[in-house]
Amino acid sequence: MVGKGILRGLTTTARHLLETYLDDVKKIPSRYAYDRHFIKQPLEEKGIFTIQYPEERRVLPERFRYVPMLLYDADTGEDRCTACGICAKVCPTQCIWIVREEDKTGKPLPRSQEFYIDISICMGCGFCAEFCPFDSIKMNHDYEIAVYNRYPDLVLSKDDLVVPTTYYAQLYPEAWAAEERAREEERKRKAAREKALAAKRAAKAKAAAKKKDEQKDAGK
Amino acid sequence: MADEYLEVPPELSRNVFLTTLDTVYNWSRRSSLWPMMFGLACCAIEMIAVAASRYDLARFGMEVMRPSPRQADVMIVSGTVTKKMVPQIVRLYNQMPQPRYVVAMGACATGGGPFKEGYNVVSGVDKFIPVDVYIPGCPPTPEALLYGMMRLQEKIKRQSVKTVPWYRKERDDIPVPVLGPDILDLRRKEEIKKISAQLADSEKYLERLETKTTQKA
Repeated sequence: MVGKGILRGLTTTARHLLETYLDDVKKIPSRYAYDRHFIKQPLEEKGIFTIQYPEERRVLPERFRYVPMLLYDADTGEDRCTACGICAKVCPTQCIWIVREEDKTGKPLPRSQEFYIDISICMGCGFCAEFCPFDSIKMNHDYEIAVYNRYPDLVLSKDDLVVPTTYYAQLYPEAWAAEERAREEERKRKAAREKALAAKRAAKAKAAAKKKDEQKDAGK
Repeated sequence: MADEYLEVPPELSRNVFLTTLDTVYNWSRRSSLWPMMFGLACCAIEMIAVAASRYDLARFGMEVMRPSPRQADVMIVSGTVTKKMVPQIVRLYNQMPQPRYVVAMGACATGGGPFKEGYNVVSGVDKFIPVDVYIPGCPPTPEALLYGMMRLQEKIKRQSVKTVPWYRKERDDIPVPVLGPDILDLRRKEEIKKISAQLADSEKYLERLETKTTQKA
């Protein structure tokens, strides 16, 4: 029959359309009533519906990335960043600028004095977060950063970038748990190593003392 | 409603009519911003997503993407602006009727993005046309673009008929940039200058050509 394919295609379209409205009816009072602000389409739901953006938002996946953020320890209040500059080196667009802090004699300190990211050219690749050896730079989920002036509003300084680790833990629950586990393991390994080293040193000292005693005895 | 955003000078504080006009005028203008239908790169895909049913730009009265600049109010520069494309963009901007707004969408339109140092890319469309709202991101998510459009609406809300630059006699068209010999590697400017100076000195040039040909022979 001529036009069979067209009919089949139109049926699919019509089914999608119907399902959108059927799902609206199934969820009484409305699908928009689950949670007013954060909305996620469940997997079993078939139709597709409009996200009424400023009122409701999509639930973002954990690995969503937009622009970088800098973490500081929520307990101690210290920056995790040591100003090693790896992020600035791997950045494909070269949008990170770091000035390392120095003491009075000019000796570099493991802290950043200034930290700028020009998000007007940041391409959100996440290399900085990937390469950071201190887990101090991570990708933020905040996308509401439209501004009226490019300079200086889009060149974020350290004050604009820092967030506490608790914020990161909330955004990335899975990654945070994995990192905590890794840190705990590292701590254990370090403790075990130190213990072994201390035992070794004690044994060495004991042996040395014994030898001395023996020499003393021989000398007598 | 208007008092929040408008600063009323003391001599105008009792002039209810003008503030009301501003409110109505701005409300009607910002509720039917028609974007121009043109995309430059991958950001355009997100712009299409915004116009489609999932995010639905029609909720803001912006659903009518006009293919002609004569009917458009806002230009969404969505993507990399190459030097070759700049004359066309500026011409389109000049053809838009006032009041006109420009939204620089994404890293490329805002500041050149990953191609900032490229030989053929303009590092930011604001070098040529005035930009009202910058939306960073590569590309911005549909929500980010919607947020940017809402910021533009806020900006329009704050404008006053008395101070706006349009409704004036003089035209403020932007001279259309001409594609020219500026598409060259500036890091080798001195070298290129030297070579071109040498080439300009025709006697020497001919001499060198002759020596070359004699050497070959």
